[in-house]
Amino acid sequence: MAAISLLNPKAEVARAAQALAVNISAAKGIQDVMKSNLGPKGTVKMLVSGAGDIKITKDGNVLLHEMQIQHPTASLIARASTAQDDITGDGTTSTVLLIGELLKQADIYVSEGVHPRIITEGFDMARQKVLQILDKIKIPIIINKENLTDIARTSLRTKVHPILADILTDVCVDAILAIRQEDKPVDLHMIELMEMQHKTASDTQLVKGLVLDHGARHPDMPKQVKNAYILTCNVSMEYEKSEVNSGFFYKTAEEREKLVSAEREFIDQRVKKVIALKKKLCDGTDKSFVVINQKGIDPFSLDMLAKEGILALRRAKRRNMERLALACGGVAMNHLDDLHESHLGFAGLVYEHVLGENKFTFVEQCKNPHSVTILMKGPNKHTLAQIKDAVRDGLRAINNAVEDKALIPGAGAFEITTYKELMEYKDEVKGKARLGIAAYAEALLIIPKVLAVNSGYDAQDTIVKLQEESRVNPEPIGLDLTSGEPINPKDAGIFDNYVVKKQIINSCSVIASNLLLVDEIMRAGMSSLKG
Amino acid sequence: MSGKEVVTLQFGHYSNFVGAHLWNLNDLSFDYSSNQPSKINHDVLYREGLTNDGHTTFTPRALLVDLKGSLKYLSKDGSLYSERPAPEKVDIHWDKSRIEIKKDFEQSGSKFIQEIEKGNGNKVLNKKQNLEQTVNVWSDFLYTRYHPRTVNIINEYKHEDVNKEFDVYPLGVNLWNNSEFSEEFSDKIRNYIEECDNFQGFHVILDAVDAFSGLSTSCIEHVRDEYEKKSVMAIPLIPSYYKDYNITSTDQNYKSITKDSVRVLNIALCFNDLAENASIFVPLCTGLTGWRQPGESIPFNNLHYDSRLWYHSSAILASAIDTFTLKHRLRSYNFSLNDLCADLSSFGRRAVASSLCLPFSFNKDATLLECLDNWDGPLSKSITPNCKIGSNRMMQYWFLRGIAENRLKHSQNQQNLPAFKCNTVQEMLTYYMACTTYASANNVTVVDKALTVKTPYPDIFNAHVGIDGNIIADMRPEDSVVQSVPVLAGLHSGSEIGNMLESLHTEVSKIRFPRFHRFRESGLETDAYKECLQKLFDLRECYEDNYN
Repeated sequence: MAAISLLNPKAEVARAAQALAVNISAAKGIQDVMKSNLGPKGTVKMLVSGAGDIKITKDGNVLLHEMQIQHPTASLIARASTAQDDITGDGTTSTVLLIGELLKQADIYVSEGVHPRIITEGFDMARQKVLQILDKIKIPIIINKENLTDIARTSLRTKVHPILADILTDVCVDAILAIRQEDKPVDLHMIELMEMQHKTASDTQLVKGLVLDHGARHPDMPKQVKNAYILTCNVSMEYEKSEVNSGFFYKTAEEREKLVSAEREFIDQRVKKVIALKKKLCDGTDKSFVVINQKGIDPFSLDMLAKEGILALRRAKRRNMERLALACGGVAMNHLDDLHESHLGFAGLVYEHVLGENKFTFVEQCKNPHSVTILMKGPNKHTLAQIKDAVRDGLRAINNAVEDKALIPGAGAFEITTYKELMEYKDEVKGKARLGIAAYAEALLIIPKVLAVNSGYDAQDTIVKLQEESRVNPEPIGLDLTSGEPINPKDAGIFDNYVVKKQIINSCSVIASNLLLVDEIMRAGMSSLKG
Repeated sequence: MSGKEVVTLQFGHYSNFVGAHLWNLNDLSFDYSSNQPSKINHDVLYREGLTNDGHTTFTPRALLVDLKGSLKYLSKDGSLYSERPAPEKVDIHWDKSRIEIKKDFEQSGSKFIQEIEKGNGNKVLNKKQNLEQTVNVWSDFLYTRYHPRTVNIINEYKHEDVNKEFDVYPLGVNLWNNSEFSEEFSDKIRNYIEECDNFQGFHVILDAVDAFSGLSTSCIEHVRDEYEKKSVMAIPLIPSYYKDYNITSTDQNYKSITKDSVRVLNIALCFNDLAENASIFVPLCTGLTGWRQPGESIPFNNLHYDSRLWYHSSAILASAIDTFTLKHRLRSYNFSLNDLCADLSSFGRRAVASSLCLPFSFNKDATLLECLDNWDGPLSKSITPNCKIGSNRMMQYWFLRGIAENRLKHSQNQQNLPAFKCNTVQEMLTYYMACTTYASANNVTVVDKALTVKTPYPDIFNAHVGIDGNIIADMRPEDSVVQSVPVLAGLHSGSEIGNMLESLHTEVSKIRFPRFHRFRESGLETDAYKECLQKLFDLRECYEDNYN
């Protein structure tokens, strides 16, 4: 009798075999839900909420977030999978499949009387071996458009329609290559993702500059300027009542007016400084002047600026201050004293685009932009959401490749090769731990199996075919989803991220081992008399 | 200068109940027939928009947050800007055999909502609806249509989910710090403010009893950082009733007591943050005691309501909020939220109490002079829990709406009353206040427009309240609905609020914090908690009058 039941007679307890059965059935359950998504031929799921809101996705991570998982074991697996997404941005579905399969395979041995501890020892040995194989199999790459395109395409084709995937691939690769500076890690925040509900998904494009989601708030300001100096600043240009000036103790209206105008004057001075610089630099030339301010600009100030033909935007995103400096040069100013030309950025073209009540300002033709914008278009919200999820994953995949400087052959090749090597390794190991290694090797095959099933082929046939080919061919062999025949993924340009695979191997082994070793599950609520 | 815009933020389910009433009240008070512009500047709370196909819209400048599954039939993006495509017609570019459609149980709006959607608005709004039975969530009585930006859903937590509750303060803080949610949300705030020419500040209505307390205070901290000089008027709410008070067994009783402790902890943590970051905060509850058990419902004359129904209690709080925010929403005054906050929060007294008189009992043929002369006891009842409103050394704002100037006084029989010399409602009420309080500053705002309480406002007035809100001797016809009522509300700062904070501090001190491991698990250290208690205690000291 578990001690807890003495303390709390209402606690529910499941022990030993029963506990394992609970865990395995939960893992199978979540595996079944996610199975059909895997790979470029997986199913697309359309989720319709009670109110009729639509969400379309193929992404394991998105699905896991949308599903309300009640079962504690399933939610543990889901969390491992979400962590996978947080770290690498891909491989969520694989994580769920692999954990489920590891438990399934282990269950076969456990039901024959092998202690779970022995299986987990085998799992751990297998894991270390697989990591070695992973390092052996990885293909070092140089960072160029071709290599990055391969990895981005592989990732994106598992998220969206191939035609759209190819468009997004180009957009994402170009974006990363534009902002990448030699020997510096890429900061993905420097790629702005902007949505426009407009046109179709295939009009999604890369803007080599910035797109801001607001426009000028004065009717007389120019809608389009060329050869523009860009002043980015974080300086308030609106009159705000100071605390001293408020309160109903205030006696006369004149007194109050005086103070107001004195404070107003202070703001005017700031605006005049900008105007003075504009006059100095632009008057008599074909150049123009744009102010992008993180703080507010009130109608009086806007009016003063408009009279000088200056285009002014207020309340810019905090992050855009940094992006603007990277895209057009110059520095974001926190004060306007000693303003100088070198503080300013430059853009060839700045123009406004209006869509209903939404205004967009494009800052384009920058000389050497280190910050760019992916402008996502779609006719409705759910398309935009789908593109946004895909673009994020695509960028992550490319960035992973840039950081790893290596790729792993995709299309199930890694799993097939690892199976072969693990089976050889098994024979070198003495004792029952080899059973765990065998289970691990079998479990890995779930990936090519599901890929085959999702493409309409028989799982066993395919595996046999692939293994035969793999035996005679020293190269890694993967599955061609259009023909069902073995291929060399390198030739087909199908690659996965090194870090994604590594993370999957590590986290799945740990989670599966932990779940296997659970021999008691308790459910007891806290019930105490007083707080 | 045009506009004096305010952005309204609503955090939590109860806050959204109040919000829904608030917007309903406003929407139904719009007068489209009159040529005279209304005295209340609706552009303060609302914004004009334009849909993609060129229709003008007028929607609340508001953002609300709720948990997944709390909307029922209501679509997140609303139907104002784009028609939602039918799921069957959506074109998914994918192999037709490889598409799975997963539909949730389809939700339909309450009968009331369906009638409104059919366009029978006028018919339904002037009839008694008995919505009490059909209202489960706030969207069930929402008449206003929101902008697609307005509704924000937290996908991580589900509404009324017992397995994964969004119940402790640090969970809200974590959500703000770690998720995309905050980025998207702060961007939406920025979008609203970017449109404003003369932005005054924020009204933040928040649930103080669950993790929304942490989420909202983190958000307030963010806006104070980003929009430094703008005022934040926070209105922490304590619901009048929880489902776990429906106790049938001792086990449930334990659970309810534990939950109450969690709620008290959240309130304390929330108040502490608000004292630091909000310009002022006005705790509201329709229960008398507030903290551990909201207690008996506050009795109002000529009003009978069921405080177990959120639909009822939230309507009362919404009426109060709409009334005590009147002054900085008026067209005529050059008065801003900033001024209000500055006056009420001197010496760091950021906690402010509120009181309400709903309806402002006024006999059909009476005059204000007569009414005030015969008034027994204080004019209004405190709606800040555990707080009596004193009459000594107070700083208070009074807001009276719905008393026409021609009902000020009669010329006969009243000459001998001292208040007879007053020539406006404002003068008279100011005079009354001056006579009934000592060493206090009273500021009175008067608006002639009464509070519109048409359906979907609950029918909580007793039979002596006439259709126009005056008290009548005989009964109002059974099937008629009260259209509008006069209301008096007040905001008060004075030493009594210190007592309220002290009572909260005493209540929290009784709780053994380490037992509530959910707080620690989600990242609130015991030291931080102790510090918070200390600060709460210090805040109380701001209210002590020591200058004699």
